Amino acid sequence: MVNERRIAMELRWCVFVAITCGVIVQVSAPPASAADATRVSLGLSAFYTFEEGEGDVVKDRSGSGKSLDLKIEKPSAVTWKDSALVVRSATKIESVHSAAKLATQCKRSNALTIEAWIKPTNTSQKGPARIVSMSSSSVQRNFTLGQERDRYQFRLRATSTSDNGIPDTGSGNGKAETKLAHVVFTRGSDGRVRFYVDGEQTESRKVDGRLSNWNVGFPLILANERKAERPWLGEFHLVAIYSRALSSAEISQNYSAGPKAGIDPHEAQRRELARAEQTFATKVAPLFARHCLECHDTGSKKGDLDLSRKLAAFEGGESGKVILSGNAEESPLWEQIVSGDMPPQGPGLSASDQAVIKEWIDDGAVWSIDMIDPAVYASKPGASDHWVQRLTVSEYIETVRSAVGVDIAKEATRLLPPDLRADGFSNTAYNLSVDLKHVEAYSQLAEMIVQRMDVLEFAKRFSKSQSLNTDATARKFVAAAGEWLLRGPLDDREVTNYSGILTAVASAGGDYEQGVGLMVEAMLQSPRFIYRIETQPDGGGNQRVTDFELASRMSYILWGGPPDEALLKAARDGRLADKDRCQAEVERMLMDRRAVERSKQFAADWLNLDRLTNMQPNQERFPEWTPELGRDMRAETLAFFEELVWKQGRPMSDLFDAQFTYATPQLAKHYGLKPQEGGLRRYDLSGEPVRGGLLTQGSVLTIGGDDASMVTRGLFVMRDLLRGVIGAPPPGVDTTPVPPKPGMTHRDVAEDRIQNESCGGCHIKFEPLAFGLEQFDGLGAFHLKDEFGNQLRSEGQLVVPGEAKPQPYTTPSELMKLLSTSDRVRETLTWKVTQFAMGRPLGARDATEVQQIHQAATSAGGRYADLITAVVMSDLVQKTRSQDEP
Amino acid sequence: MKNKRIHRRTMLRSVGAATVGLPLLEEMLTSTASAANATPEIPVRAFNVFFGLGIPAPLQKEGFRGVLEPLQPLSKKLLIMREVDQVRCDEKGINAHYDGATAAFTAEPPDGEAKSGGPSIDQVIRRAHYPDGLPKGMVPTLVGGTFFRRSRVGRYVHSYNMDGTVAATIQEKPRELFERVFGGVALAGGDRSERLKRSVLDTVVEDYRHYTGANSPLGASSRARVADHLDRIREFEQRAFAMKHRQSSGPQIPPRSIIPHGGPADPGGQGIDITLEQLSSEWRLLSDVYALAVQMDRVRFGALTFLAAGERIRLTGDYMYNGKKLWEFDDAQQQNAGGDKGCSHEWWHKFNEKKKNEALRAHAHMKMQEVAYFLSALDSDECKEPNGRTILENSLITISTESGDGRHNDVKRELSGVFHCITGANGRFKTGQIMDVGAEGIDVYNTMLDAFGTKDRLGPKTRDAQQIDSIRA
Repeated sequence: MVNERRIAMELRWCVFVAITCGVIVQVSAPPASAADATRVSLGLSAFYTFEEGEGDVVKDRSGSGKSLDLKIEKPSAVTWKDSALVVRSATKIESVHSAAKLATQCKRSNALTIEAWIKPTNTSQKGPARIVSMSSSSVQRNFTLGQERDRYQFRLRATSTSDNGIPDTGSGNGKAETKLAHVVFTRGSDGRVRFYVDGEQTESRKVDGRLSNWNVGFPLILANERKAERPWLGEFHLVAIYSRALSSAEISQNYSAGPKAGIDPHEAQRRELARAEQTFATKVAPLFARHCLECHDTGSKKGDLDLSRKLAAFEGGESGKVILSGNAEESPLWEQIVSGDMPPQGPGLSASDQAVIKEWIDDGAVWSIDMIDPAVYASKPGASDHWVQRLTVSEYIETVRSAVGVDIAKEATRLLPPDLRADGFSNTAYNLSVDLKHVEAYSQLAEMIVQRMDVLEFAKRFSKSQSLNTDATARKFVAAAGEWLLRGPLDDREVTNYSGILTAVASAGGDYEQGVGLMVEAMLQSPRFIYRIETQPDGGGNQRVTDFELASRMSYILWGGPPDEALLKAARDGRLADKDRCQAEVERMLMDRRAVERSKQFAADWLNLDRLTNMQPNQERFPEWTPELGRDMRAETLAFFEELVWKQGRPMSDLFDAQFTYATPQLAKHYGLKPQEGGLRRYDLSGEPVRGGLLTQGSVLTIGGDDASMVTRGLFVMRDLLRGVIGAPPPGVDTTPVPPKPGMTHRDVAEDRIQNESCGGCHIKFEPLAFGLEQFDGLGAFHLKDEFGNQLRSEGQLVVPGEAKPQPYTTPSELMKLLSTSDRVRETLTWKVTQFAMGRPLGARDATEVQQIHQAATSAGGRYADLITAVVMSDLVQKTRSQDEP
Repeated sequence: MKNKRIHRRTMLRSVGAATVGLPLLEEMLTSTASAANATPEIPVRAFNVFFGLGIPAPLQKEGFRGVLEPLQPLSKKLLIMREVDQVRCDEKGINAHYDGATAAFTAEPPDGEAKSGGPSIDQVIRRAHYPDGLPKGMVPTLVGGTFFRRSRVGRYVHSYNMDGTVAATIQEKPRELFERVFGGVALAGGDRSERLKRSVLDTVVEDYRHYTGANSPLGASSRARVADHLDRIREFEQRAFAMKHRQSSGPQIPPRSIIPHGGPADPGGQGIDITLEQLSSEWRLLSDVYALAVQMDRVRFGALTFLAAGERIRLTGDYMYNGKKLWEFDDAQQQNAGGDKGCSHEWWHKFNEKKKNEALRAHAHMKMQEVAYFLSALDSDECKEPNGRTILENSLITISTESGDGRHNDVKRELSGVFHCITGANGRFKTGQIMDVGAEGIDVYNTMLDAFGTKDRLGPKTRDAQQIDSIRA
């Protein structure tokens, strides 16, 4: 809820025009006077304007996250007046639930601003008398703005101050008077605190440390302490709490705006437009994608209506406009839907889906994206939610190696259940579930790891003392070792918890080495080791992740392992918040061998190379097959990928048309190349007309099975290279593959299928994509004739989803060239790399960011390094979605 | 305080209901039979009972009119000793919470962080009377305690081997104490490794609980995932540490503790908030299980701790005694302070003979009530032994603490007049008196050992020992 009355006044001179997706230009007259100035809204967490006029509730009007309304304990002790609340006698105005959103936001930012327009009743109240407080008792607080006779006082809990927020900061004597005053306290992430009274800075000092020890369970209280023993009497006109430090200029702006200025009305407009855009992207577009675009996309365009693109959709079809903004009842689109005429097949839209369309049109039909791409909406609902990420087996191995220097690969691979693929990758967070086997394995592995460690040498990195005494150095040791093992600072609860192991060992007569060993064993099983734990903030919108969370995101994206000391230090020093420094870290990390290995994990997962180790083709049909050949194919693709991406530094799209490969003698022979001696060797393919690029490698060609299925290969190209979407075959259809025979090749079978009325509508979209690969058999060997002596062909058409015009080709190499120069393929690579980096399928809410990543990476050269840099620097990685986001 | 005392008879009844003999149950029946045997031989037993923070010497002078009041019903079976000094155990630079605590029952200062300078009384007696070990199936030494200050072992462990190492792993949860005693003979040989593995798992569980609880920073999907993991860990825990040899018709295991244990029980010396109800319930359950173990003759030696030396708790709740409200505990509020400065410990720092010391008195009184609770459990009719005396009367139970003054500003005063109380040990010592002993702890302890005929003595061999005949019967 926003301040309606005040906004209405402000809107008289404000007009907003949305010109493009997400970009707003404000056309406004300057404020007529200082009193018309708007207040600062960025970072506002709680906001009270006291304009209720009656009742016992003071509403939070910030619009940020869950409302933090306040309840007046003794209504008889207060009087409402024009946009103010007069506290005449002792009472307490306390939030109806804990102020967790304030605590969470400030802990993340290490900064805050408390702003109040107040009028004290006298200059004798003391204690300090609590004006605005987040506390649980007279000695436990996160912060308190108070009055101590004739001065204001601020107590702030930080890691350098007590639980009571002492030592406090004063505004200076004589600053508290019995007149309406604008009192502001700010604390920046660098520890600098400032007091302002009536726009003038009265104090500036340092309060070091972090706000990580804030208690999220404390309520917000006005006019008293929690147990009602520090009352404050006076008038409240406005109270605002920000999760950042306002600058002097911003404080001047708020001071100039005066005590009656509400929330920035521009902000309300921005939020409204953003909400409408979000509604289209997340609710309306998916309905179009699922129910309309099969017939009304750019390719099909039935009735000359293209609903996949903004301009075309508003232009309408053969019968004119179909969407009349603001008037659903008169819109043919709505009429067709509600009458049940559209979609013509299937169950139609549910009542709730119909309501979404109606409301969207009635609300102005805001259309926030250029083109509705069905691939964006392909993932299941919930799949792209923020799921905590369990380390994959390979991440676990690398994390252990990096953290304690133990190679546990063999045992971890044996004991841990393999990570199963979902949505095309095996690191998909929602699918990284846990079973009893995991818990058993983590326990056993932790014990093995500690047995192999030089525990005392490890401990020496963090403490010279060898004491189990928690009153002496043990807690500091736990905190330091924990920060390293758990990839970020431990809070008091964690230090206390893990210290308990040291004391348990001591009480059992154990020694330091045993204590540290068991502590490490516990940490290796803790949620912060096994998972990439991140705080999902409250408060709405996307918020910056903390520096340590960012460090972890970066290291797992770039290296598949934990941050190194340099990266942790950068996080500790707050350097990652600076984009240039953050990018410099990315560049440094890309020089590390771990980045190469991680990129190869991406390639292996994307192309599902692990299946090659389990292949068992029909021995009668392929008598020369050996399991080694499968492993060689895997090695070929990874070596090819590494050379192209890292040694040659070429754009990712060149993967489809590079004139070299790697092969063992056995694989070279399989390909018809002249074998070179000695293991995996590089082969120049510039003189080979049919090979060159990923799709001509056995690792990909074997995807169609022994029969080199056109369907499977075509679907692979469509889904994994072109991000096309296709539904499952309708029920009851005979999907038994039809084998080739004399006079009939696979392609002939496929063309028959395409001609079939019930199959062709879909199969035409993907089978032709595999026509160019027909001359490669199920194991990737090249033939001009099949086993029945039928001549094989290679011409075909590349049909790019969403594009009207097919692109013809005649040879495999022409197909490869088309793929390597296709914008759609480049986009797909961006989506795939980004999905792997994020560990989750990407959905509608991510589309804008992915597009920006794609543009940034393409303009930087389109190389893997460009892509991964753009991913890390994007809001997808730098920010996190709050819990309140839809 | 709502817990119902576990009685031996109840225990035996449930044991009798079991038709299939389990190893542990058979032993318990055998032991019971021997207790009821016509042989009048009474087993030698020795236990140390420690309570934290002490009773200032001037308050001891008030006898049963003051904080010792709860001991009065048992007074005929106790010898309360005043003016016992532990000054020789002073270690420069550390206060009585460390050196005085280790001195209790050993008369030696600590030797490093996890050792005492010598053995404790109970262990010297055990060695003398059971040189070849205790009867099969018996827990050699049982150490338990309810405490929240864990930084140094000497604060809460009060049974030490001859070399000064801890005599047994301390059990701080009633459930674990129960399992230690009644969990089957397989564990009787030593359980350190298992106990420590449990503490690793407990720590991990605590961490997962945080991420699934009300203060979890995770979103709904993530929290569900971690909750799933926690369920799997609990399943793993059950399989890994399921109590051995248990049967559904056997005695019920005490409920899981709800108060903090392990690391969370001592947040870096900052103290914890706890209600009297929580504290007392946990302790009484632990006392009951310990007493039951003694009654069932599963245990003859060991130590029990009620609050550690230098304990830091912020206690709240009404303190009732004999149906009358004596005090309302609210340490933090009454001291207008938080963290360590709001703990009951501070009342000892603020002790002033010229003032009322109401809060300190209430705490000390409460401690005596809880110590008396344990002692009474060994003094019921069910605890009568063939010689007509109760287990309390037949055993040596030594009760002590770390200091005779909590102000840390005078070593001599701090370690002088340290409260001591013993039982008669089957007629070996006088009872029914409050005695101003005026002796060093080492001499008192060695006199006690003398009464048990032990060859070993505490303290340096070269020291001229003084027999304190006044305590001998």
